[in-house]
Amino acid sequence: MQDSLRRMLWISRVTFLEAVRQRFFAFLLVLGVAMVLSSVSLRVFDFGHGELKFIADLGFGGLFFFGSVLAVVMTAQLFFSEIDNKTALTLLAKPLSRPEFLLGKFFGAWAVLGVFVVVLAGLLGAVLWAREIELVAAAEQAGKIPTTFSAGGLAQFVLLQWLRLGVVAAIVLALSSLARTFLFAVVVGALAVVAGQLQWIAQDAVLKPSDSAAYDAFLWVSSRLIPNLQQFNIGDALVLGAAGVPAGAVTTVFLSGLFYITAYLTVGALIFRRREI
Amino acid sequence: MTSAISVRRLTKDFRIGLRGLKLRAVDDLSLEIPRGQVYGLLGPNGCGKSTTLKVVLGLVAPTAGEISILGEASATSAARRRTGFLPEAPYFHKFLTGRELVRYCAQLSGVSAGELASAVEDALGLAAMVEAADRPIGTYSKGMLQRIGFAQAVVHDPELVILDEPTAGVDPVGSAAIGRMIHAMRDKGKTVVLCSHLLGQVEQVCDRVAIMDRGKLVLEGAVDDVLARRDRHILTVEAMTPAARAAAEAALAAHGATVVSVTHPRRSLEDLFRELVTGSRDA
Amino acid sequence: MRRYLPWAVSGALLLAAGMFAEVSWRSVRPSIPEIGRKDLEPTLGQGVLLGVLGGLRTLVADLTWIRSYVLWERRDRGGCEALMRAACALDPHSRYFWEQTGYVIGYDLAHWEIRRRGGYDKVPAEIQERLFQTYGRRGIDIFEEGIARSRVTTPLVLCAAQLAEIKLKDHKLSARYYRQAAESPDAPWYAARICAQVIWQDGRQQEAYRWFRDYWTTRMLPRDDGYPDDLEKLRTMEEVLRIPPAERIPRARWER
Repeated sequence: MQDSLRRMLWISRVTFLEAVRQRFFAFLLVLGVAMVLSSVSLRVFDFGHGELKFIADLGFGGLFFFGSVLAVVMTAQLFFSEIDNKTALTLLAKPLSRPEFLLGKFFGAWAVLGVFVVVLAGLLGAVLWAREIELVAAAEQAGKIPTTFSAGGLAQFVLLQWLRLGVVAAIVLALSSLARTFLFAVVVGALAVVAGQLQWIAQDAVLKPSDSAAYDAFLWVSSRLIPNLQQFNIGDALVLGAAGVPAGAVTTVFLSGLFYITAYLTVGALIFRRREI
Repeated sequence: MTSAISVRRLTKDFRIGLRGLKLRAVDDLSLEIPRGQVYGLLGPNGCGKSTTLKVVLGLVAPTAGEISILGEASATSAARRRTGFLPEAPYFHKFLTGRELVRYCAQLSGVSAGELASAVEDALGLAAMVEAADRPIGTYSKGMLQRIGFAQAVVHDPELVILDEPTAGVDPVGSAAIGRMIHAMRDKGKTVVLCSHLLGQVEQVCDRVAIMDRGKLVLEGAVDDVLARRDRHILTVEAMTPAARAAAEAALAAHGATVVSVTHPRRSLEDLFRELVTGSRDA
Repeated sequence: MRRYLPWAVSGALLLAAGMFAEVSWRSVRPSIPEIGRKDLEPTLGQGVLLGVLGGLRTLVADLTWIRSYVLWERRDRGGCEALMRAACALDPHSRYFWEQTGYVIGYDLAHWEIRRRGGYDKVPAEIQERLFQTYGRRGIDIFEEGIARSRVTTPLVLCAAQLAEIKLKDHKLSARYYRQAAESPDAPWYAARICAQVIWQDGRQQEAYRWFRDYWTTRMLPRDDGYPDDLEKLRTMEEVLRIPPAERIPRARWER
């Protein structure tokens, strides 16, 4: 068990080093950073939202959009670079099992996604904090109640976004285990992200059953097999207190994310075990 | 003692296209590769030799047949722990240095932390890569890539080393260096299986060979046995005059022997090349 | 059978993950703003999908709003309404979007439609009135939806009251909205007076006086200045209704 963990760690380490050296990672990180910073100047387009909400929303958007692109493209690329360049042949001829290889790839990619999320969220926190100081001073002068943000809520949101990207990476790895080409894995992975973000529509519909048994059955299956990625988007509630978050809800979502990751990696490992390299 | 590799009635089919057409890459192959020898698996491109090696290493599942490595079922972690592998045209992460790569592979192969440093240095020394070990792999030449690939294959001191086209694309000096490494492994009592279509090189380094064609085994045996023509002989003569030649032919004819051809011995172009560029390194 | 066991296990794992996600979704559902899906359908192809997927909702809503203004200037009825509704659906917490969408639909669209049909001279008065009623109702519906989904509701209630009064000429409905606004904790000072006036105009003068007097006594009098303008309005009502002096509001010390 310990040997197995070590082997996974070494694969993860090299995967991480490979990923952070890629221009693609740097490019998306720079775009994300630019998006967070641009929120300060883009405020002129705002129509009566709270200013902190506008800044936070742009940051959340950057995390969602560029994070998803990174999770899909980078994870597939890290997998297929090993297959196409035949480094997988060298590695898998060693006493390294295929599940260990796949999990090593996953943890390496997930670590990179963690760096991405922490850097962007750290920057977002700094921008929110700086603007909050100005807004609080202005509100006190005007005798109004100032708007504030929650740093603890932001930390929880970071964790949930990291989990969401982990779920995406696990799905992409499962797809890559099956796919013959990088392009197929990326296209289907991107569609899975879109479906996962819209899956809550099915979830909501399940909560209100219809008269049609066939429709109910369709909703039942789709709401279970397609991951619900929208459940991780509670940034407004956590960071700006837009709505209350029930006690234990973050933990439940966290466990749900881990559950999804486990399920998709299990499927990926099973497919990869049978793959001919 | 069990064989290094035992292949019994191996068949491998690949499915092609959506309709799942079957392509038979290996057809009812049986092989016993003895320990402590250099074994060459020969054949034209697409004859099934690389597929056979991949099946042996557990990288591809067989359609039928049984394979064991050093007495253990292939595709098991225990069997792979005792095996080293250099794939054809190896590619490694360019950002790692040669030493980092060999170290990484040693760790994956289960070399203990205490033995790690010495194992890495030994493997780099064997592959003559100590000087270039701290350069990123991205800066290596083709020959150096093969040599660092060889180092990663032997870093955990395996009993069996499998080399797939180890000299493909490498110049003769580099090929000779790889040949020396293979001999060094044999001298240490290891089994080396190499797969190649460069017959001259195989003849020089292998003890036994198997020839495959269209997925089937067509010949197997010791190199000397399979190449020697027992019904013909070669005499090498110095300072032969036309009169001496006529006398010799008459003497042989008197005993019922016939001279088929008389030619000058040739050295190989590879020997000439190596002689001319002796001392140059593959850098 | 054993061959299929791993697949069965992984299928079961996926289903179990999905079922657990249902539990977690129930727990966080109230924390995520509702999106009006039907309102988004016509505009999903215009970049709005990005906002639905997660993050960037505010920015996409703002950009959608800016684009709706371009269409408003062109008096493109369908496009303008679709984009304004999309902005509301993307960011339902924004009072501004509801307010402006309700105004445009309730006040402007009927005029655009009359112009499209040839102008005020050509369209018969009863048709014009019917158009004002139709679009006015739709404006009210927008305000109602905003009241249900926005976090700041009183200004939207006042908008609905105003629209009901001006375009629908439905004093009962208007009075009901004004009363709802006046009774809310963040009621503006003028809401009760307009409410009383609308009830009065509806012919229910006694009711208007009684309600306004009660409201003024309980909610306005205890304040610093006692809202003298409103007291003046009440005095006018007492005059018109010929309320006996003994039953009138006792004279305040500061009253002229």
